[in-house]
Amino acid sequence: MELALSLAVVVCALGIAMIFVVVSGVPPAAGAGAFIDGAFGSQLNLAGTLSKMVPLTLVALAWIIAERAGRFHVGFPGQILVGGLFVSVVALKISGPSFVHLPLALLVGAAGGAVYAALAALLWAKRGVNEILSTLLLNLIALQLLAWWVRYPFHDPATPLALTPAFPESVRWPSLLRDTTLHWDVVLIPLAVVAVAYTLNRTVFGFRAKIVGSNLRFAEHAGISPQRVGTAALVLSGALAGIAGTSLVLAGNVPAMSEDFGSAYGFTGIAVALLARNSPIAVVPSALLFAALQQGAGVMEGTVGLSSSLSGLIQGLMIIFVLASTTVLHMWRRRRDSRRDVAANEPEGARAR
Amino acid sequence: MATAGGPSVRAHGDATVALELKGITKRFPGVTANDGIDLDVKRGEVHALLGENGAGKSTLMNIVFGLVAPDSGEIIVGGKRVTPHGPQEAAALGIGMVHQHFMLVPDMDVIENVALTSTRWPRMLKRENLRSELDALATAFGLGVSSKALVETLSVGERQRVEILKLLYRGAQLIILDEPSAALTPTEWQSLTAFLRTMTAEGKAVVLITHKLDEIMDVADRCTVLRDGRVVTTLDVATTDKATLARTMVGRDVSLRGSRAAAQVGDVVLEVEDVTLDEGGRRLLDGVSLQVRSGEVVGIAGVSGNGQNELVDVIVGLSRAATGRVTIDGREYSDLLTRGFTAAGGALVPESRHSEGVALDLSIWENLVAKELTRFTRHGVVDMAAARRHAVELSAMFDIRSPSVETGVKKLSGGNQQKVVLARELSRDPRLVIMFQPTLGLDAGAIEGVYRRINEQKLKGAAVLLISYELDEILSLTDRFAVMFGGRLGPMMTSENADVERVGLLMGGGR
Repeated sequence: MELALSLAVVVCALGIAMIFVVVSGVPPAAGAGAFIDGAFGSQLNLAGTLSKMVPLTLVALAWIIAERAGRFHVGFPGQILVGGLFVSVVALKISGPSFVHLPLALLVGAAGGAVYAALAALLWAKRGVNEILSTLLLNLIALQLLAWWVRYPFHDPATPLALTPAFPESVRWPSLLRDTTLHWDVVLIPLAVVAVAYTLNRTVFGFRAKIVGSNLRFAEHAGISPQRVGTAALVLSGALAGIAGTSLVLAGNVPAMSEDFGSAYGFTGIAVALLARNSPIAVVPSALLFAALQQGAGVMEGTVGLSSSLSGLIQGLMIIFVLASTTVLHMWRRRRDSRRDVAANEPEGARAR
Repeated sequence: MATAGGPSVRAHGDATVALELKGITKRFPGVTANDGIDLDVKRGEVHALLGENGAGKSTLMNIVFGLVAPDSGEIIVGGKRVTPHGPQEAAALGIGMVHQHFMLVPDMDVIENVALTSTRWPRMLKRENLRSELDALATAFGLGVSSKALVETLSVGERQRVEILKLLYRGAQLIILDEPSAALTPTEWQSLTAFLRTMTAEGKAVVLITHKLDEIMDVADRCTVLRDGRVVTTLDVATTDKATLARTMVGRDVSLRGSRAAAQVGDVVLEVEDVTLDEGGRRLLDGVSLQVRSGEVVGIAGVSGNGQNELVDVIVGLSRAATGRVTIDGREYSDLLTRGFTAAGGALVPESRHSEGVALDLSIWENLVAKELTRFTRHGVVDMAAARRHAVELSAMFDIRSPSVETGVKKLSGGNQQKVVLARELSRDPRLVIMFQPTLGLDAGAIEGVYRRINEQKLKGAAVLLISYELDEILSLTDRFAVMFGGRLGPMMTSENADVERVGLLMGGGR
């Protein structure tokens, strides 16, 4: 049922996009062809698609971890940026051989995202501040923080542009395919998917998160603290987003860090998770689709002149359809269950609370 | 004073009767909530509706208010037969209801909240006109609430008065109050009674749903007593007393629903010493003391909302008492949430299955092991196979009917869901078992099953505390019990041959 819905969502969104293609005067076959070619047609293009999959997968997984515990936030862009910020310190102020430098940067990047998420987490746990609001605002702060960071303390004096000095090779991900954007950070995809799936399905933390996400009162009665579990979930979520940040910074086209090296992935990643219906495994094909959309649309603009914002349009449509289908499914299930529920109704005995 | 929706009360028929009910019957699956109820409410009177939990008071008023349609019977307003199909129609008839849970928007002021209920056309109202109307109404009835005040700054008593103001604004002639004193301080209650007298002086009729005898004696003119969905009698308050009311409310041949097992009583397991809890200016628990020994079933009777929930939360560790202490086997226990209680050998079958007893989204086995995760965890990893095996065993032991332990709990019947809760709690061989309304919403077979478990635990030497709003249950299953009212626990009484009239009195707040 879930799979069918997701497929339907994709088909509908693409279908509507086709309308726009036709309206723009581009023959649909040519448009589709250019798009597919742009995403998968050559080594260079395929590399582009795969490398975009990395941050999308990580952010989607970050969303899923928080969602399992019932915590919904949109702080991924900020956590990506702060992750990158932390990495820039390790990259430029510490030196060492690659097998130390890179792992250290990864850890520190994760820590950056985790710390930034912890701010929102503590505000929620201690003061009940809504995490969507706090993380949204923290995103804005992070953007300004980075803007200042690459212009002042970590600015490359040799350039008027807002960039840090180039990061040394020792800290960057080695290239997987020469002369392309594909780096070894793609191994993070299977690693992270397995790690997150395992954590959520097999560990005590995963169980507690599931219980908290399902019924807070029940969790308290079971001796599980929603605050502790929720905070842990948010922090883990931030850590994954931080790792996405390290990928963007250490496996990007430019060896230096700019003020916004990809925070937009922080929102697209949410859409990836929604299309995957919050399943860690399903994130892979979903991320592939979104990555292909972004990659393909960029190339397509060059070849047939279709605006690359078409990919944004498709993404937006998919998000709307996913949410709509989820809501409709939920309402349908509720109606079906309530008809069945007549026997299990709880009559009077009102609590005067 | 312009009012919306002209009440037909003054129009025709017996001008002294605001509302008349004839033969109202309503059945729900498994229970007859109202059985041929006849009732009349006169203009200018405060008419109390007295009864225990489950007597049918709320259902009856929901029928009057249009939320529920009766299976048979007539509702007569102003001499005309009416069938209100919802609060809007009821309001048009001049009937208004103030519920226990207020329906106000906190960050809007009084004017805006009242405006929300307006059905006048056009919908755009001039604030100033509304304000002066409301101020006039408030003054006329002595409501003492400033119309510009933001609802969130108002006290509970004031908010209640805003609710009433809403009704008056819509021209209500019959006002139904559902357990109005539940959230009020004694002073606020006095203000409310004064206000009720003003309203009745103006010819309005008030129906007061309550279980508190003091209140009835204080402010009501007549009182109709409901029991098991039927009207027992209607009395003139001036010619009766609390004892009579109590006897009428409760007095009957106790239908034995289960029996008491004979067990050997041992040492004190649970000791609650002088526990007090305050909140928002109200005393929720007032010096509650209690002892439960191993091998006995102690009961707490009483109508809901008198502190039972708060007491359970304190014993279980979800709330902290302001003063006093709770011990199990002589030792205090405190840890995160309920962990201390569970570790000390406590078990709780909570009042609300769906919101506290089970996680509906999860499977049977996940619900069964939820409280004992660490038992199945090594190095942070859960041994799912072992957990499932345990779940299968428990399912067999407690007769949980389902295709497998993977089935979602929400698909189970109420009885089976309760078995999941019982299995989880009782399989730990607890020292103390608290059962809070354990048979709510269950069929006869399931109820019998619960009673068997209670006696089983008793014979095993556990201490059992049964908190129930069903007096029959308390009287049949417990060895001794006390009545809880207004946060205070009354004297302990022996359950066998208990003086039911006295119990009724205690349940209504007498001594």
